Amino acid sequence: MRLTIALMVFGGSLAQNSVVPALGLGGITPDLPFIMTVLLALRRGPEAGCVVGFCAGLLQDVAGGGLLGVQALSKALAGFGMGLVGGRLLVENPLVQVPGLVLLTVAEGILRFGLLQLFHYPASLGELMVHVILRQALYNGVLGAGCLVGVAVLEAMRERLSWR
Amino acid sequence: MRFRRYALLVLVVVVCLGLLSVQTRGSGLARAGDLVGVFTTPFQTLLAKVHRGALSVWSTYVDWKSVRVENAALRVENERLRVQALTVVETRDENVRLRRLLALREQLPLATVAAEVIGRDASGWVRSLTINRGAGDLVARQTPVIVPEGLLGRVVRVRTGASVIQLLNDPASTVGAMVQRTRTPGLVEGEPGGTMRFKFMARDGAAIAPGDLIVTSGQGSIFPKGLPVGTVRSIEDRGSALFHFAAVAALADFARVDEVLLLTGQTTQDLAGLFAGTGG
Repeated sequence: MRLTIALMVFGGSLAQNSVVPALGLGGITPDLPFIMTVLLALRRGPEAGCVVGFCAGLLQDVAGGGLLGVQALSKALAGFGMGLVGGRLLVENPLVQVPGLVLLTVAEGILRFGLLQLFHYPASLGELMVHVILRQALYNGVLGAGCLVGVAVLEAMRERLSWR
Repeated sequence: MRFRRYALLVLVVVVCLGLLSVQTRGSGLARAGDLVGVFTTPFQTLLAKVHRGALSVWSTYVDWKSVRVENAALRVENERLRVQALTVVETRDENVRLRRLLALREQLPLATVAAEVIGRDASGWVRSLTINRGAGDLVARQTPVIVPEGLLGRVVRVRTGASVIQLLNDPASTVGAMVQRTRTPGLVEGEPGGTMRFKFMARDGAAIAPGDLIVTSGQGSIFPKGLPVGTVRSIEDRGSALFHFAAVAALADFARVDEVLLLTGQTTQDLAGLFAGTGG
């Protein structure tokens, strides 16, 4: 299972820069590794969310040419936070998970902006919020909902097969 | 259990902050990134190839779905011919693109290296391309990257077997440029929305009009003079402000570029005349 998760993180993070741009709408692409981090954190807790977020973010930093550590840190914190919340609140319902993913994308964007400010990142938060963060949050929400439906269908199929 | 959990979080935060602080000091963390890149670049290349293959299969499938023939034998024949035709069209388009690139390469009075795009980051935070040429191909940081339409960006990171190009519309991109017709100097800057703008001094820019071509100024010794950057789309009048801005339409299609040229040599010659539609 750990190997499957590791392969998912490795493949998903590299796919973010090679395959996912084809899913772009209006110049915005979904953040697949982030969706993976959040969904895994919900199911496996804060430690897994933190490690998966860190690895996925670091690979994205390397593949995308950004500053090494920015996405690693923001995704690790997001994964850890989501894992903690998942253990304390009732987040089984997709109607809670999807808006949670949207809000967490916005929070991660603000955190990433804060980190980039240390390096004098030139764009303003307002512009980024309008052009990048909010759009990507909505896109992540839609794709996350699709992923949840896919996982639910797979689990139902597996249960049905084991019952037989 | 709880202590372990928070210890892990602290460890991750410390590692990330350590990585960031080392980069702040500008020391050689690039080597660590290069090391990771040695493992990730082949997978990235493979994924790009699989992706292109999948797209090709998908387009063939879509085409097959639209075919309506009554005769079974004719349908099979039709399908075969269509698949063949798609391959020919794809090959022809690629041929046209490569011929244009080759023609430009032969005209340029400086050394160039051709490269293929293997990755893209269009998230909005960073707008970059990854190409399959790296340190082994004598690519250096700040190398200008062009396509037959004009300037695409510059190399910002060189790894073994791959390099990362900062596109002109990256929010951190700044290029010294001028309006070709009026010779008004200024800076072309990327914006988070994926657009570009030309920043110029108000007193110099009265004559700038929509449709004017913007080319590199050649100052700063990174970009040769005369590389087309874009055309003026509209001018933002800021009244008595010192600087005015013009919205710039890019000449190169950043989302669709597959092959690029890296300008590894240097020249003082004005290159505007070598690009189609520059009127130079």
